[in-house]
Amino acid sequence: MNFSLSQPSEPLSRKILSPVPFKDRFPAGRLKPPVGILPGDVRSLPELHLFLEPDVASLPGINLKALAEWVEVSIGDKELAEAIRAIVDTAVNYVEDCLRVYEAVGVRLDQARGIIKENAV
Amino acid sequence: MTLYGYAGKILRLDMTHRKAIAIDTEPYRRWGGGHGMGAALFWDYCKDKTITDGRHPANVCCVMTSPLCGTIVPSAGGRCEVVGVGVGQYPVSWFTRTNFGGRFSTMLKYAGWDGIVIEGRSDSPVWVDIRDGQVIFHDAQDLWGKDTWATQLEIRDLIKIRRGTKTHWRDLQALPLAKSDDPPGEDFGRTTQKPAILCIGPAGEHQTCHAALIHDAGNGAGQGGLGAVWGSKNLKAISVLGTGGIQVHDPKALLRARMITKEKYVTRWQAPDFQAWTRIGRLPNPIIQAAPPTDERRPQSCQGCINGCRSRYNVGYGNESACQETFWYGPYVRKVAKSRAEDTEINLKGADIVQKYGLNSFVLQPGLHWLEHLYEDGVLGPGRPIPSDLPWESIGTLDFAEKIVRALSTRTDIGADLADGWVQAALKWGREEDLHTGALQFSYWGVPEHGYDPRAELEWGYGSLMGDRDTNTHCFNYIFTNVSAAFAFGKPLRIGAEEMVNLHAKKMSPYAKDRPEVLDYSDANMYSEAVAQIVRWQQHYCRFYKNSALYCDLKWPDFVNTNVPDLEGATASPDAGEQVFWNAVTGDTLRFEDGIEIGRRIWNLDNAIWVLQGRHRDMVHFAPYIYKTVYNKGEVFPFFMWTCRDDDGKWHYKDLMGRSMDKAKFEEWKTIFYRLEGWDTKTGWPKRSTLEQMDMGFVADALQAAGRLGEEAS
Repeated sequence: MNFSLSQPSEPLSRKILSPVPFKDRFPAGRLKPPVGILPGDVRSLPELHLFLEPDVASLPGINLKALAEWVEVSIGDKELAEAIRAIVDTAVNYVEDCLRVYEAVGVRLDQARGIIKENAV
Repeated sequence: MTLYGYAGKILRLDMTHRKAIAIDTEPYRRWGGGHGMGAALFWDYCKDKTITDGRHPANVCCVMTSPLCGTIVPSAGGRCEVVGVGVGQYPVSWFTRTNFGGRFSTMLKYAGWDGIVIEGRSDSPVWVDIRDGQVIFHDAQDLWGKDTWATQLEIRDLIKIRRGTKTHWRDLQALPLAKSDDPPGEDFGRTTQKPAILCIGPAGEHQTCHAALIHDAGNGAGQGGLGAVWGSKNLKAISVLGTGGIQVHDPKALLRARMITKEKYVTRWQAPDFQAWTRIGRLPNPIIQAAPPTDERRPQSCQGCINGCRSRYNVGYGNESACQETFWYGPYVRKVAKSRAEDTEINLKGADIVQKYGLNSFVLQPGLHWLEHLYEDGVLGPGRPIPSDLPWESIGTLDFAEKIVRALSTRTDIGADLADGWVQAALKWGREEDLHTGALQFSYWGVPEHGYDPRAELEWGYGSLMGDRDTNTHCFNYIFTNVSAAFAFGKPLRIGAEEMVNLHAKKMSPYAKDRPEVLDYSDANMYSEAVAQIVRWQQHYCRFYKNSALYCDLKWPDFVNTNVPDLEGATASPDAGEQVFWNAVTGDTLRFEDGIEIGRRIWNLDNAIWVLQGRHRDMVHFAPYIYKTVYNKGEVFPFFMWTCRDDDGKWHYKDLMGRSMDKAKFEEWKTIFYRLEGWDTKTGWPKRSTLEQMDMGFVADALQAAGRLGEEAS
C-alpha cells in the first residue's frame, strides 16, 4: 500500500521522533502463547513501529481506532492519524490492518528522520 | 518384585547431620510419582505441617521423578517435580509445587533414585554429589556467591568432567572427591555423560521469595520460591551421575504407542500443517518470545520430548531459555531498542541474567509494570516515599535489567522489601489501594496474574484460587489462542464452537464426560456446577497426569487434533493416550479415569496439608481488583474468544472482554465446588467420609487431631 503523506515540518518531525510523557502513554499488549496477554504501552512512534514489526511467535495487541486519536492528540500528527483512520475504515482483518499501520508509521518515521537529518546538515 | 518404571529407592538427605538414607519406593507406589509421591513423603517426613514459611527448618522439600522419566514417552520423560512449603505468598505460603525440565530426573533415575527428600538444615553451605548409589556431602563455601552457571561449571571442574563435546568413558569411582574410606556397596559404572546439576543462585542464597532452582542453562523451577527453601537449608546444588537404566514392563507396547503418536497424531514434517489445532501434534517449535537472534540454532529439549521448544544459538546468548523468561523485559526493551535485532539481544541477555541469578522472572511480568508506574508517579525513586537508587530513567537497557535483578536477588534497594513477598511489600509501602485498583495484578495468593484473567478464563483463575499458586496449566487455553489468532488473521476456524466442546466432552471422563456445558464460558454459566466440574477435572487430571506422571504441560492433554480425520486428539485414546504409556512402562492396567481418581486423591492430600497450615474457605478469595474492576484488556488485545452458549443454546466463540466478577455469586460457586469435592461447605475442610472412601483415613485422623476435620452434615 502506498501512503502519500506530505512532508512534515521540522517541529512536527521532532515530535514524531520523541516520546510523549508517561501520562500520555498508549496501552499496547502482546499475545504470546503460551504465556498469555502481556500488558505494556508505547510512548513514541519509533517504539510503536518496533512494536508492530511482524513476529512469527506472537501478535501485537492494540486498539487501532484509539491509536489514531492518540497519534493526533498526543503526538500531534493529524495527517498520520487520518491515514490510520483510513486503514481502519477499510479494514481487511486485524493482522493485515496492523501491518498497514506498521507501513504507514514506517513511512512517517523515514520522512521525519530525513527532515531532521537534512536540517542538521 | 520388580517395580517397572521405578528405580526402587528414594534418597533422604538429612541436611542437619549430613547423612544420606535410602528408603523403599514401594510404600509410595499408590501415589504414582512426582507430586503425588512428593506430597506423601512430605506428609510422612514433615513433622510440623502448620508451618507457613518454607524457610522454616521443619520444611521438607522433595525433588521427584515419575516412572516415565528417562523413557521415550512423548513429552513426558524429562520433567521433574519439586514440592514443599513455599516462600512469599500471601496471606500464607502454602505447601506448593513447581516443575522443571531437562535431564535431571532422567539422570536421577539412572543413578537409582526415584526422588530426593531434603530435610533439616546444614550449619554451612554444602553441595551434594550423587554417583549411582554413592552420596557425598561436600563443603560449598567456595561455591556460595556464584551464579547458577558458574556453580555448574565449577562442579564439573571439581569432578574433572571435561568441557565441550569431546568426551570419553569415565569410571565413576575414579572421578575425584569420592571418599576412599567409604567404599560403595555396589559396582560402579562408567559413563560418557556430564552430571545433571540442580542449583540455586544468589536469589536462593538470600532466601528471596522469587528464588528459583536452575538446571543446565535454562531449565528453571520458579514458582513457589523453592530456591529460597534450598538457601535456608544451605543447599547450593545437587549433582547427579547415573549409569543404570529403567526397566520398562512392555517395551513393544511403548514403542507401538510412540509410533502411533508419530504416524497418527503428529503433523507430517514432509508436508507440515503449521496451523494445526493440536497440542501433541504440532511441529517442533521453539517457544521464544522475542524474534530469533539467528537462524543458526540447534533445537534443545527435555529428555524424550518430541518438540524441542528450546534452542542453542551460535550467538552465544539466550541458550535454552524459553517462554516467559525470554520476554519478562520486553515492554521496556522496545523503548530503547533501535532495531528488532537489538530488541532480541537485550531480551535474551535479560533471560540469561535471570537464569544466572536464579530468579523467577514471572513476578516481573506484572510486577515491573507496577514498579514503573510507582516511579513515573513520583512515588518510587531516589529521595521519594519508596526510596530506590536504581537507574529507573534507563529502564529498558541491559544495565537496568542487571541492576534490578541483582537488587531483587540480593535483598538490596527495593529488593529488601520485595524479598518476602510482593503483596507484603505493597502493604508495607502503604499501597493497599493498588490491590483494589489492579495497579498490582497479583490475582491470588500473592502471586502474579498469568496473562489469562480469572474473570474471563474461568478454569485457570478458579483453579488457581482453589489450589495453591498460579495454576499454570494450559489444558484448555489453546482454545482462546487458536480461535483468537484465526479471528485476527481473518482465517476460517478449523473447528467450530459446537464441535470443539463436544470433542472435549468425549474425553473429560468422569465428571464432565459428554457434558459440553462445562466449556460454556458465558456470563450465565460462570458460577455454575458445570464450571465447578471443569475446574475439578483439570485439577485432578493435572495432579496425576501432569504433576505426578509428569506429562509436559505444553503438550498434554491433546483433546482435539486437526491432524486426525475425526479430529479426536491423543488424550485418553486407546492407542496413544496417557494411560497407554503409563501401563506400558509400569505394567499397570490403569484406565484413563483411574488416573483422574489418583489425581483426586493427591488433590485431597494437598488440601489436607493446606488445611493443617490454616486454610479456611473465608481465606479463599481473589485480590480485590478482580471483583471491583472489569476485565478491560481489550485495550491491549482486541478480543478474548471463548466457547459460549447463547440464550437459544447455540454455541459460539464469544469475546469475553469487559467482564466483571460478582463476589457474592463467586462465594456461591465455592459452595458448589466444596460440595462436589466432598468437603465441608462452611470451612472447605475435608470430611472423613470423603477421605476414607479414598483409603486416606490416616489423613482424617490427623485433621481430627488438629481440630480441622470437616463436618459430615455440612
